[in-house]
Amino acid sequence: MFNKTLLLLALGAFASSAFGEEMEVVGNVQSKCVVTPDTAGVYGNPTPDVLSSDPTDGGVDPIVRFDVIQASLYKARISHPTSFSESPTLNDTVVWTGDTATSQVSDTSMSGYDAAKVEFDNVTEFSLTVAGSTWFKTETQADYGYGKAFPGGVYRAVVSAECIAI
Amino acid sequence: MLVLLVCSSYSYSEEAIYGTTANAADAGYNWVMTNVLPQQLGLSVNSVIYRYTTDKIAEDDMLVHVQNENARGTGYIFRETDDWSGLEGNTINKTVPVNMIDISYWGNGSIEVEGAGSVLDPEVYYSYQYIPCEDPQSDATCPGYVDPTGAALIDDAIAQDTTSEEYIQAEIDRKANLQAQKDEEEQAEREEFAKEKEEEILESLEVLLGYVNTNLMNEESRVLHNALVATNYLPRSYFEAMVGGNYPETLVLKDGRLPDNRKGLRVGLASELKHKQLVDLQYD
Repeated sequence: MFNKTLLLLALGAFASSAFGEEMEVVGNVQSKCVVTPDTAGVYGNPTPDVLSSDPTDGGVDPIVRFDVIQASLYKARISHPTSFSESPTLNDTVVWTGDTATSQVSDTSMSGYDAAKVEFDNVTEFSLTVAGSTWFKTETQADYGYGKAFPGGVYRAVVSAECIAI
Repeated sequence: MLVLLVCSSYSYSEEAIYGTTANAADAGYNWVMTNVLPQQLGLSVNSVIYRYTTDKIAEDDMLVHVQNENARGTGYIFRETDDWSGLEGNTINKTVPVNMIDISYWGNGSIEVEGAGSVLDPEVYYSYQYIPCEDPQSDATCPGYVDPTGAALIDDAIAQDTTSEEYIQAEIDRKANLQAQKDEEEQAEREEFAKEKEEEILESLEVLLGYVNTNLMNEESRVLHNALVATNYLPRSYFEAMVGGNYPETLVLKDGRLPDNRKGLRVGLASELKHKQLVDLQYD
């Protein structure tokens, strides 16, 4: 009687192991890099054919802050605009120029970011090699046609900032 | 409900207040902390936030110290150094946590530059926290607050001043009232006592003089009175009128000096000796 019982139990165990099971593993990765808009930009209109964010032209440079908790794992990619996201109808070409540089740093070593930055097209990349906060300022300027006045209206452009894992 | 209210009140009183100072470096590169931090007992500084821009040549060596002297000792209670040597000038924006350092340690602050270069537009802020009413004197609404001007104490002292005219007059009046009340009570007692005595005397006289006017007495008293008269219990003088006038002393003492009784002295002495002998017998 005892042996049979054991046999039945063993059969039951084999029967159970014959079914497949899938187990889910869940992980949640919190980014160690945070991008925060710090100062909204404003275009000044020093001359009828120019829109510029330079403070000397009556504008305000947009500033974005990158906070990295761990050094040398991320790079900041900032693109200055090459088109208006909102504007009156424009019949002529717009020439875009821009530049991005550090505005403030939380560590003196971050002052080396400007010398080490990589620029291509309208993009500027900074390797965030120091943990802490870095403020990047972007200057953007739009020149319309060949000495042609911008039509009246509201003009908007977008500066994009990304934190990319290296 | 009561318990909840008590807990709520307690937590309110223990709630910490957080704040940030104004720019300590607004007036220059040196500042006095007593002018910067709120003078609250138990205040502690959580962090120092500073920002400045350096103007320098990249190749130059430059150190910038943002610091506070140790008010309770030597050296610095806080000193953060930024090394700009070999770096381009820039604007630094830094938050330095300082582990809840008590206000009493925070001495005068300064920004000091070593090497070539200069610091522009400095801003230094202190983030702090404290529990209100930890120092009852911090706010007049705090429990246990004592008016530093002593106005309340002076008022109390005036109210309790035993030398003031008002106090003395009040005491005099109070004592006078008590004395008057006591006098009235004593007067009433005396009058009652006198009345009782007068009644007793009158009653005695009635009994004594009952034979004159026996009609004033009741039958029982009359029978008793007649019995007393019959047995001659009352002296005869009670039935005779006493002639009034002056009764001078008639006895004259012949001897001017009364000597001690020597016989009595000897008896007393002998008695004393005998007593002593009897007492001594028990020790022999």
